Amino acid sequence: MIKVDSALCIGCLACSNVCPSKNIVREDTAEKRTITWKTCGEECDLCVEFCPAKALTLVPESEETTIAFELVPCRICGARYATEPMLRRIEAALPKELQKDASGLAWIWVCPVCRRDIEAERATREMVMGRSRRSP
Amino acid sequence: MPVYVDISRCIGCRSCEVACQRVHGGGSHVNVHYAGDHAAVPVFCHHCQEATCVKACYTSALYKDGERTAFVIDKCTGCGLCRLACPFGVVWTDKLAHKCDLCSPNETPTCVLTCPANALSTDYEAASRRARERAAMMAIRGGRR
Repeated sequence: MIKVDSALCIGCLACSNVCPSKNIVREDTAEKRTITWKTCGEECDLCVEFCPAKALTLVPESEETTIAFELVPCRICGARYATEPMLRRIEAALPKELQKDASGLAWIWVCPVCRRDIEAERATREMVMGRSRRSP
Repeated sequence: MPVYVDISRCIGCRSCEVACQRVHGGGSHVNVHYAGDHAAVPVFCHHCQEATCVKACYTSALYKDGERTAFVIDKCTGCGLCRLACPFGVVWTDKLAHKCDLCSPNETPTCVLTCPANALSTDYEAASRRARERAAMMAIRGGRR
């Protein structure tokens, strides 16, 4: 059976993806992600092996566990895009100088869609200025 | 960034997006963005030297292979950390992660071969020379860049 340490779980998708018996179920809504570890009697430890946070252990007895994560809203568009522990983990793994972009923006707290927009805006800024000056 | 974009040549036709979808069976790893009517730019994987997606990947599914930020699908658990670790939003996770692989093992990425406006290239020297020449021309014509 699977035991979950809720203090360690970061709410990623690894365990539910690798489980061959679909005993770990996740549900994403616009606001939160819910993960349920069903009571599992399989002779298998893939979820334990692949957990990035080492939050899972196998124990002889365990009950069904559910953890809900509120998803973090993007600082620009407000769309909820990730669990906070996942973002904190990435933040901790990166050197300080890589956590901000050239404009000083903490990009980790911006959703991937807005990150692409920012990159496109940065790449075209000079060109757009030049072209709008030339056009009547 | 092994695919270099000459933005002034990009016509915003999205041929690179379609070429990428065709080669990778579904999701494109290129995203063409528009700055009003004035400019278009394909947003690509930079194949960063200090790739943050590689730092975030705990199974080594993502790794540096020379200039390329490469990817072995067999090691991916689909955890989604790389998607959140990319500063440019060009790694996706749909069950498994996917991103630009420069169409390896082909020598030239399909988007580069496809671009009808010649805006994409893998030749840093050529891309950089063209930019310098253009800046010089602008300077001669009156200092406008």
